[in-house]
Amino acid sequence: MKYIGKKLVTMLMTLLCISFLVYFAFDLIPGDAALAALGTDASPESLAALREQLGLNRPFLTRYLAWLMDFVRGDFGTSYKYHMPVADMIASKLPITVMMAFISFLMMIVVSLPLGIYTAKHSGKHIDRFIMALNQIMMSVPHFFMGIIITYVFGLVLKLFTPGGFVSYETDFVGFLAYLIFPCIAIALPKIAMSVKMLRSSCIEEAKKDYVRTAYSKGNNTNKVLYRHVLKNAMIPVITLWGMTLADMLVGSIVIEQVFNIPGIGRILLTSISYRDYPVVETIIILIATVVIVTNFCVDVIYQLIDPRISVQD
Amino acid sequence: MKKKKAYSTNFIIGAVITGIVLVMIIIGFIHTPYDITKMNSAVKLAPPSLKHLMGCDNFGRDIFSRVLKGMGNTFVIAFATVTIGAVCGVVIGAFTGFFGGWLDEVLMRINDVLFAFPSILLALVFVSIFGTGKYNVVAALGIAFIPSFARIVRGEFIKYREMDYVKSARLAGVSQIRIIFVHILPNTMTVLLSSIMIGFNNAVLAEAGMSYLGIGVQPPDASLGSMLSESQTYLFSAPWYAIFPGAMIILMVLGFSLLADGIKEK
Repeated sequence: MKYIGKKLVTMLMTLLCISFLVYFAFDLIPGDAALAALGTDASPESLAALREQLGLNRPFLTRYLAWLMDFVRGDFGTSYKYHMPVADMIASKLPITVMMAFISFLMMIVVSLPLGIYTAKHSGKHIDRFIMALNQIMMSVPHFFMGIIITYVFGLVLKLFTPGGFVSYETDFVGFLAYLIFPCIAIALPKIAMSVKMLRSSCIEEAKKDYVRTAYSKGNNTNKVLYRHVLKNAMIPVITLWGMTLADMLVGSIVIEQVFNIPGIGRILLTSISYRDYPVVETIIILIATVVIVTNFCVDVIYQLIDPRISVQD
Repeated sequence: MKKKKAYSTNFIIGAVITGIVLVMIIIGFIHTPYDITKMNSAVKLAPPSLKHLMGCDNFGRDIFSRVLKGMGNTFVIAFATVTIGAVCGVVIGAFTGFFGGWLDEVLMRINDVLFAFPSILLALVFVSIFGTGKYNVVAALGIAFIPSFARIVRGEFIKYREMDYVKSARLAGVSQIRIIFVHILPNTMTVLLSSIMIGFNNAVLAEAGMSYLGIGVQPPDASLGSMLSESQTYLFSAPWYAIFPGAMIILMVLGFSLLADGIKEK
């Protein structure tokens, strides 16, 4: 409990730090909400009046705290470009990106777990060498190039899906999921390769230890030793990797959305950057960072549940 | 007696691939078969041939020449990024690991914050504040790479600082700076080298991703990422436009990761 409490405090501190740094960074940019609302040819008097009204004249820390309070309550400010609340802009897009990351994450676990165990069991044999060589190549393929290859092979040549034919989850949920399968494969493949490699080497490393010999000497067969003893310990580094990949997948889907023409968070983020629509950029970045940090926290907690040896000192 | 194999197969394959990639990059710096910005409407989207080894793009520019230049750009950006990340990371990691104390606490907390931030996301923040372009991408990715190096080097220094040879160096009156850089740092080289190579790969992938999104190297300058992004429109009629730049990214990354594996195994 003490461990979880300490990690929780660290997580909240990190979140606070990030929100402060991001707010500070965007505060440094010349131009503010008043200028964005009235345009560059507004008179200095009306600008000053609006600044007064919006509270932009207050000291930095006061503004930050007010902004933070609003943010926590779910009021992310108003877009410079579309003059609508940022929350409304991203509310309908967020599920798409989150869904993509979630599906890719599931794919990774479902595929890499059996494959990693299989290659570890058969290490040194031809099949293991073949899978590992393929793995090495997969790890070197950038996910967006993987996306392009998948579009070409499955979309244009085999015609298994229509590139660009995205349907919103609001109109057709099954069609939405079906369209997401291929983008998710593109995101998941390099990560599958990475976690298979890690699980395999971690299993092999673990199998050399003394307790494994003891387990064998007690008359357990290979499968029993593997699933009851080795796997539990071998999973620890793999879970850390999975925690980190969830963040990568979320960011990865920003790029993959462009490849498959999916109107998710990534699309808004990139157009907002090019329009210099800072409130939107700020919000999305903090939201993604929050997801990443909360995931890391969950990994730490799961970590300790699996391995009680990990203590507060670490 | 059997002679011990000097290098693993992985290492040799990696060295060969990296060698080919480096030769292509050097050729690209010295001379390209065609001017990379010269357009020629007669050969628009021409398939690969002896005259144009990798075919031509939608403006009739030679893809082979653009790939050579693009690889150079990617390499320079990745190199600069890793240099910034490694140098700053080593200095921060060495001092915090060696001295410990409150500075260590503070810097490691900042490190954790940066570490929690995906590197592409940090680069996006940078780009939206300072504008797009090569140098901003280098700065952004460089900063994003510091924490991972700092963390590794710090761990190594904590391991070594209590060792006998460091204690005896201290007793002999060697200055602390000298202990850090002359006595301990060389011992961290194996670990550092393989993380530099992994960092390099991540930098190549990140740069390609940023250029693909249109926020890295700006046109008309060539970059593998932006070529891939342009190629998508012509994917059906000219698949080679996508395949060659993509294959080059894979080769660059594959070569280096095999090398890194080889070094780790040794």
